Amino acid sequence: MKPLFAKICVPLCGVAVAAFFAGCASSGVKNPSGVPVTHMNADEQGFVAGTGVESQDLVHVADKMARSILDIPQIANASTAPTVVLQPVDNQTRFPINKDIFLTRIRAQLNSKARGKVMFLARNQMEALEKERNLKREGAVTASANPMVQEFKGADYFLTGSLQGISTRTAAGTSDYILYDFHLIDARTSGIVWEDSAEIKKQGLEDAAYR
Amino acid sequence: MKTPWQPTLLAMLLIVAGCATPTSQVALTGNVLVDGPNAIANGPPRDRVLWQYRTAAAAMRQGNFGLARQQLDDAIRTLGGIYGNDPGARKARSYFHGEDKKTFIGEPYERSMAYIYRGIIYWMDGERDNARACFRSAEFEDSDAENREYAGDWVLPDYLDGLATAKLGGDGMDAFKRAQSLARGVKLPPYNLKANTLVFLEFGPGPAKFAGGQYGEELHIRTVPSPVTSARIGVDSLRIPVAPTDDVSFQASTRGGRVMDHILGNKAVFKSTTDTIGNVALIGGIATAAASRDQTTQEIGLGIALAGLVSKVVSAATTPAADTRTWDNLPHYLSFACFPLPAGPHVLTVEFLDPSGRALANLTKTINLNITAADRDKVVFVSDSSATPQTL
Repeated sequence: MKPLFAKICVPLCGVAVAAFFAGCASSGVKNPSGVPVTHMNADEQGFVAGTGVESQDLVHVADKMARSILDIPQIANASTAPTVVLQPVDNQTRFPINKDIFLTRIRAQLNSKARGKVMFLARNQMEALEKERNLKREGAVTASANPMVQEFKGADYFLTGSLQGISTRTAAGTSDYILYDFHLIDARTSGIVWEDSAEIKKQGLEDAAYR
Repeated sequence: MKTPWQPTLLAMLLIVAGCATPTSQVALTGNVLVDGPNAIANGPPRDRVLWQYRTAAAAMRQGNFGLARQQLDDAIRTLGGIYGNDPGARKARSYFHGEDKKTFIGEPYERSMAYIYRGIIYWMDGERDNARACFRSAEFEDSDAENREYAGDWVLPDYLDGLATAKLGGDGMDAFKRAQSLARGVKLPPYNLKANTLVFLEFGPGPAKFAGGQYGEELHIRTVPSPVTSARIGVDSLRIPVAPTDDVSFQASTRGGRVMDHILGNKAVFKSTTDTIGNVALIGGIATAAASRDQTTQEIGLGIALAGLVSKVVSAATTPAADTRTWDNLPHYLSFACFPLPAGPHVLTVEFLDPSGRALANLTKTINLNITAADRDKVVFVSDSSATPQTL
C-alpha cells in the first residue's frame, strides 16, 4: 500500500503546477485579447451606465419634444414658417452636462422631419454673419442681393428649457430623478405657447467596495 | 520509507508564486505634472483616477486649467459610472486581494474635491449652471456619512450653489442658509450680485490615509496642522481678510465607518483564524508523528501537519489591507471671497497668514487681472503652492 502522505503529495503537486501556470498566464492582464468595438444605438443603455444624463435620455426627451412641438396650432397651421431662436437650457440638476445638446437634437429633428414648418435662426453665428454683411456693404465681396436692406430675421418664438433634479443617497443606493421641461415663448407677447416635459428616474447601488 | 518533504514544499511555493500578480510600475520623478500623465498612460488602470485627481490639482496651481479640465472630466465620468458589476471591486472584496485592487475613485471627501475643482473651472468658463451642478454633486458625494451630523456638511459648495443660483436670476437663499448653518463660527457674507471677481483660495497640507489594525485592515486619516490658517487679499485699495470656510481634513475624518470596513474586518478575522488553525494543526501533527512509532499514526500526524500548512498558506494569502491610495496634493483649507472690480487691469495679491496673523512672505502670490467687462465674472484660483505671478 502506498503511504498516505505520498498519496496526498502527488495530486497536491499536480494542482500546484496547474495553479502556477494558470496564475502566470492571466496575471495582471485584463481582457488579454481586447474588447472589440461595440456599436450601440444612441437610445439604448450601454454597459457603462450611471444615474446621470445619458444618450438614451437625450434621444428619448428630444424626440418627444420635437413631436410635441409640431402638433401645436401656431406651427401646424402657420401660413409661413415661424422663426425660432434657441435659448440656453438652464441646468438645475447635480450633473454637469453639455446642455445645448438637447436643443441641438430637437432642432435637428424638427429640421429633418418637418422641413419648412419651422425656421431656426442662427443667432449663435451673429458675429460672423454681421462681419460678412459688412464686407458686402463695403463692396469687399460680392452680394446676390442689396446688402443695405436689413434681411436678418427677428424671432417669432424662443425655444428653451430647464433640467431639474431630485437626488437621494442612502445605504440602499443612489436615486436621481430628472425633470426635463421645454417651452416655446412668443417673442411678441412673452406668452408660453407650448410646454412639455419628460421625467426620468434612475437608481443604482455601488459595489460594497465603494460604500 | 523516506517521506517526500521536498515536493510538498515545492508545491506550496508554486501555489503561492502562481497567485502573485505582477503590477505595472511607473518610475516616479516627484513632479506630479510629469508623473501624472505618465502614470495615466502607462500605470495600472485602477490608479488612473487617482493620478487624474493629482494632475488636475497640480495643473490648477500652475494656471493650466485646460489640463485640469480634461483630467477632471475623465475622472468624473469614471466616478459617475460605478454602478453594478465591477470585477475590480469584486476582487477587492475577496479574501485574497487587497482593497486597492478596485478602481480608485477616492473616499467621499476626495470625490467632493474633484467636483469642487471642476465647478471652479466651469465658473471660470462662464458656465455657472454647470458649476452649480458640480457644487451640488460635491455635497451629494458627502451625503452618506455614518453620523448624519456630518452628512453633506461642506460649507463652500452650498454657498456657491446659492451664489450661482442668485446670479442666474433665481433665489439662492435656501442654499445660503444651509451654508450659514454649517459654517462653524464663520459669518458668511451675503450675496453681492455686483461682485464680478471671485477668488477661490486653498492652503495648508491636506489629509493622508494610513492603515491600522493587526493586518492593516483599518483605514485611518492622518491630518497635520497647517502652517497657514488664513489669508489676506489685496487689490486696488481693498484689503480683504479671508478665513477658511471648509476644512478638508475635517471632512476626511468625519465620514465614519464604511461597508468596506466590515468586509475588511471579516477578512482580518478569517486570516487570524486560519493562521491559528494552521499553528495548532502543524504543531499537533508534527508532535503526533514524532511521538509515535506506529507508521499509520505517523502518517495521520503528518496529514494533520500538512492540513495545518495549507491553512497557514491560506492565511498568508488572505489580504485584508485597506486601500490607502490618497489624493496627496489636496489642501487643508478652502476659502472664498468675491468683490466688484471695474473693467481694466488690476494687480491682486494674496498673502497667506500663520496662526498669529503674520504673512508668510515666501507664499505671497501676485495675479495680474484684466477685467474685460463688469458683468462677466472673473474667477481666480490661488493656492499657497500656486505659481506666481499669474496673468488672468
